[in-house]
Amino acid sequence: MFESKTAPTYHLESMEENQFVLNLGPQHPGTHGVLRVVLHMDGEYILTADPVLGYGHRMQEKIAETMTYTQVLPYMARMDYLGALFYNQAWVCLVEKMCGFEVPKRAEYIRVLCAELNRIASHFLWFGAFLLDLGAFTPFLHAFADRERILDLLESVTGSRLTHCYFRFGGVGADVDNVFLAGAQAFVDHMRKHLPTYHSLVTGNVIFQQRTKDVGVILPFETWGYGISGPVLRGSGKQYDVRTSEPYSIYPELDFKVPVEQAGDCLARYLVRLREIEESLNIIEQTIAGMPKGPVRSKVPKIIKPPEGEAAMAVETPRGELMIYLVSDGSTVPYRVKYRVPSFANLSIFSHLARGRLLADALAILGSLDMVIPEVDR
Amino acid sequence: MTLIETALDGLDVAVDGLEYTTCGLHAQAEVRPDLLRPVCRALHSLGFFLETVTAIDWLADEIIQGVYLFNHYEQNTRFKLTIRTVRAHPVFPSVGAIYPGAVWHERETGEFFGITYKDSPDSRCLLLPAETTFHPLRKDFRPQAQPVDTA
Repeated sequence: MFESKTAPTYHLESMEENQFVLNLGPQHPGTHGVLRVVLHMDGEYILTADPVLGYGHRMQEKIAETMTYTQVLPYMARMDYLGALFYNQAWVCLVEKMCGFEVPKRAEYIRVLCAELNRIASHFLWFGAFLLDLGAFTPFLHAFADRERILDLLESVTGSRLTHCYFRFGGVGADVDNVFLAGAQAFVDHMRKHLPTYHSLVTGNVIFQQRTKDVGVILPFETWGYGISGPVLRGSGKQYDVRTSEPYSIYPELDFKVPVEQAGDCLARYLVRLREIEESLNIIEQTIAGMPKGPVRSKVPKIIKPPEGEAAMAVETPRGELMIYLVSDGSTVPYRVKYRVPSFANLSIFSHLARGRLLADALAILGSLDMVIPEVDR
Repeated sequence: MTLIETALDGLDVAVDGLEYTTCGLHAQAEVRPDLLRPVCRALHSLGFFLETVTAIDWLADEIIQGVYLFNHYEQNTRFKLTIRTVRAHPVFPSVGAIYPGAVWHERETGEFFGITYKDSPDSRCLLLPAETTFHPLRKDFRPQAQPVDTA
């Protein structure tokens, strides 16, 4: 019989002096969404941290089992609303792989161009929010002003500013025009000039360094036990990026580096993300320069019916490896869809990292993990 | 010898290769539940990371299938490990002591499918409320039939 135990009870009367239980969240700016962490404290130090999830749970996997393949597509953007296009990409690539649909070259270029813009926008929001957690207000304003430029660009092609649904089976929803491409190039030029400001404002700052250096260190041998991925993993010296390790779309044709840092602390994760912004700018520039002419959508059947079987598709989102595992029974509705989301695995190491640290460090660690709570809860 | 064969050398496990280009998986193996922990230990020692733990409810066959997906950071190798049990009282061994990240996955899969993970370090509900009595990812679960709490 299925057994479920209830939450641990703290016996306050048996606690030593200075020990207490502190509820962080569910409504706390440092938890970036409705996450609650039950902290058992000894003064300013954390003895145990127990994240309580599920406040934003919507049973996305059951929803996917009740809809056709096309209907599921826009729902996914509601999980990671900061990286909506990556969910688009994972789903359409998965179905295309199973059904054997062709994708025109121009559509692949547009997909990568928009996805990398989305990645930078997500990193900007993380940058602003992370620094805000650490008490710095000005960087937030810079990051959000630049993020606004990307949202304007993406709105012009996808029609929405946040939960984009732009990719389609066999291509993209609509072609991009020269105004969009010129705007993307202007954004790249602007960011190349403006990015040094980010570094001069934050990276060398003594207070910032002291708050993040040697805080929340993830050692390389701890990474695979928790299934860590994305910038959190690459801050711990592992060069794993789905775009190069398990290449998809046109990434093998593009020239870019995968930034890696060795220290494994909050500062290393910060540096990896900032360097990723630069690499994404390089990718965007290459896709604009190499954008082929031609159609943006191939002919695919109106009713999508993947053959009976199973398939997995992974993409690199701003937070790490998103993998969708699909079991099809040959009908128009998926039999089973499993979302392997990066935030879930990356947050699962938090209790381990917070143990024995100051409360203020726990907020720096949470911020550096860059999780999106609706993605964790699904 | 592939990485999977190296890892599972000496264990009584038959590995089938899969067509990676069409399904995204490199290999799969179905094991007896008592072999799950030795296999996971062998994969962990070679640096395989656990992508996810999930299950599939095969209602027609009265079977619950546990699915474990692994991959490797240095050498891309997606490996699907499956175990199966009867649908009425599904019990799987927990691998939380080998992969600490598996604990959350098992808590989630446990509450969604009504599976008990034996010897799990933590078997509380993760995403559903603690008092939940239904298992939403079971194929015979009807969302519309559930009472809606409007309080």
